[in-house]
Amino acid sequence: MNQNPRRDLQLSRRQLLKYSGVGVAAVAGSSFLAACGGNGGSGGGGGDEPQSSGGILIHGATGGGSKDTLDPHQPVTNPDIARVCNLYEPLLIWNNDYELEPALAESIEASSDARTWTIKMRPGVTFHNGKDVTAEDALFSIQRFANPKAPLSAGGQLSQIIDFQSTKAVDPTTLKLVLNTPYAILDTLLAEYTAGIIPTDFDVKNPVGTGAFVYESFEPGKTSTFTRYSGYWGDPAFVDELQIQDFADDNAKVNALQAGQIQTVDNLPYNLIDTIEGAGGGVLVSDTGAWVPFTMRVDVEPFSDVRVRQAMRLIVDRQAMIDQTLSGYGSLGNDLYAPFDPAYASDLPQREQDIDQAKALLQQAGQEGMQVELFTGDDIGSVAPAAANLFVEQAKLAGVDVKVTKKTPFYDDDYLSYPFAQDFWNTRNYIAQAVVGTFPPEQGGTYNETHWDNEEHRSLVNAAARELDETKRAELLHDAQEIEYEEGGLIIWGFRQQVDGYAAGVQGLEPHKYLPLGAYRFDKVSV
Amino acid sequence: MTQVAILPDPLKEVAPPRGRSGGAAWAIWLLRRLGLAVLTLWLVSVLVFVATAALGDPVRAILGRDYDSNPGRVAQLEEQLNADDGLISRYLSWLGGLLTGDPGTSLANQQPVWGQISANVVNTLVLVLLAAAVMIPLAFGIAMISAHYRRRRPDTVIQTILLALAGVPEFVTGILLVALFSTSVFNIFPAVTIATPGGRPWDNLDGMVLPVATLVLAVTPHVSRIVRASLLEVLDSDYVELARLKGIPESVVMRKHALLNAIVPGIQVIALQLAWLAGGVVLVETLFSYPGIGRQLVDSVRNHDVPMVQALTIIIAAVYIVVNLVADLLSVLLTPRARTAISS
Repeated sequence: MNQNPRRDLQLSRRQLLKYSGVGVAAVAGSSFLAACGGNGGSGGGGGDEPQSSGGILIHGATGGGSKDTLDPHQPVTNPDIARVCNLYEPLLIWNNDYELEPALAESIEASSDARTWTIKMRPGVTFHNGKDVTAEDALFSIQRFANPKAPLSAGGQLSQIIDFQSTKAVDPTTLKLVLNTPYAILDTLLAEYTAGIIPTDFDVKNPVGTGAFVYESFEPGKTSTFTRYSGYWGDPAFVDELQIQDFADDNAKVNALQAGQIQTVDNLPYNLIDTIEGAGGGVLVSDTGAWVPFTMRVDVEPFSDVRVRQAMRLIVDRQAMIDQTLSGYGSLGNDLYAPFDPAYASDLPQREQDIDQAKALLQQAGQEGMQVELFTGDDIGSVAPAAANLFVEQAKLAGVDVKVTKKTPFYDDDYLSYPFAQDFWNTRNYIAQAVVGTFPPEQGGTYNETHWDNEEHRSLVNAAARELDETKRAELLHDAQEIEYEEGGLIIWGFRQQVDGYAAGVQGLEPHKYLPLGAYRFDKVSV
Repeated sequence: MTQVAILPDPLKEVAPPRGRSGGAAWAIWLLRRLGLAVLTLWLVSVLVFVATAALGDPVRAILGRDYDSNPGRVAQLEEQLNADDGLISRYLSWLGGLLTGDPGTSLANQQPVWGQISANVVNTLVLVLLAAAVMIPLAFGIAMISAHYRRRRPDTVIQTILLALAGVPEFVTGILLVALFSTSVFNIFPAVTIATPGGRPWDNLDGMVLPVATLVLAVTPHVSRIVRASLLEVLDSDYVELARLKGIPESVVMRKHALLNAIVPGIQVIALQLAWLAGGVVLVETLFSYPGIGRQLVDSVRNHDVPMVQALTIIIAAVYIVVNLVADLLSVLLTPRARTAISS
């Protein structure tokens, strides 16, 4: 019924891969993490009054269905992601600001050549079945999701760079990861929520993790229940019980919140925000790094001319895009992705609509009155067709005639060969995104929509991926971003904000830049 | 929905067998109807299978753009679907599984289909039967009152309300009921069904009120209007006039003479409505987050989960056929002419 962009995310495996993909941050050098040990994993409550313990929290999750799973390493639907975030924990974890924090690992250090990584396990952490967490368990988990033969969502990149022959658990608290190539940001690959640590005797029928909640029951497409884990290594959860209920319909979800049957919902549609606020509930708005670009193929006419690409980028009224397709819930884009990356080139001037300049560029390129076909589809998300139609209007100002073709499905065999189209991406850091989105397919560019193939850019990114020194890495990445800013084929007009809802009396939710509803950390929430 | 027009005439359908005892005649009649039902079901199974097979390559649909990059999964799914076999042999093996109670394995989560749908089938049946239990007496009651006050003010008011309700789609009624009774105005009933693990939706009876009420409001107008129409027809007939002339009280005339004769069209329209509910409650199930087969069917179609779609469609078709069979049987039993025609 409703076309919620996030609901669509669960529909295809390709979309999941992108969503859960290997987000990569250049933030965390080994020294940072080693200094930041101790109990850094759990935060406090958000409200003014002290949070009270007890009670049951029922979360209304968007979507879900018979595809629901409890597998720690390949969640499919939104409720799956919520479950994974509460049952399991990775070695490191993204905090609210999309920075790395230690979780089950106390520290992680790279050798000077960035080939050997020593992971120290946090002492005193136990699985829900009482067993201590050891380096063996961590190795087992990594082997499971980074299996070179069939890598799961977190393991795509890892499966190619880990040398499993030499990698071993040195002692119960030390894991030595050996890579077959220098990789300076390995730690970011281990922080994905799909990289949870599970015991060596893991059985998905009775899933055991280290999270703040213990598995109780699970019915795909319906509901799942959990109880507080009293032996949790961080601050134990406030609520006694957690229930995650699937909702196929947005209205049902919001009705339930209004009627007081559930306490939290994720992915609130923009048009229902007022309803929630009117009923005394609250709305949690979080910045994200999620974007829906226009993609121009740099190897076909007319976009092979860099002036045409630059003109198209000048045609877009970015603020209008945000106001009309995101109901204002978004932040400006500057044709660069990875806004949370410490190396993000925020010093490059914000590009704005400049019709005169666009016309001049088109004239120089001999493309006045250019006609182009723009491919879009509902399966990209509801933002995409709206943005496409708005772009038609904006392009008219510069005399460009854009014809929108809506494909059903968009993600078919033609995907990645459309000359001019759209796509969607979620929060990631620069290196991971650049590899998967701008490298040639044989070098890891699985979704290179623009057929961008720039040797200089590529060598900068590759050099950065090997560089352990953060400052040097940032310099390399800045140069890489400058190339894309001037010549790239992506029009990145903005980043979406995530909107979630909660009922009156719910405390402890904080905006998280990566995952909805404070990364689903229900252990921090009281009701 | 003027379903009266297509009411099968039992007299025409069944030629009276001659020279047999009444019991044997009944048995033959029943067997024949059952045989027809099975034949219909078989035809439906062929249709369902061909239709789902004609939708294109399900593996390609499931994997989307991963089709080319994930040959392992392609092979796995193709093996599960026996894609290499011909259409007929796939149909036969599917039919065989269906007959032995094993409708296959879901493509979406690799669980047995039956284990996933059995609880939902029961949930939907309970919802529909509860709605029927409320709707049937209500519809007949309203029809009797309406017929009693024929073309006077109460009748006009009732008919106007029924017509208005019949014109409003059930999800609109449902949204209004939720706004009225659980969110905006009052806070009496739960807005949605919150499933308790391993529990049934009706464990918390409060939660059943609004879904059942929505269905009742959706179906009652149709049934009530049909029953009123046939009541009026009967009330105008000569024998009712005679009964009145004999001095029989109007209430007895209504119950004994009119209602019993007007019940048959009512049964037929109830059957049609119930059959429609079995597959058509998807909007109500979605609105109230009720774990039934309608929602499951939509989910399965979206997942391109062919075995689930096939099993659910067959079940819905079976409900249609069974409900109509029962309605025909009841109609015959309640129509003396038809009864005699069969047993004579």
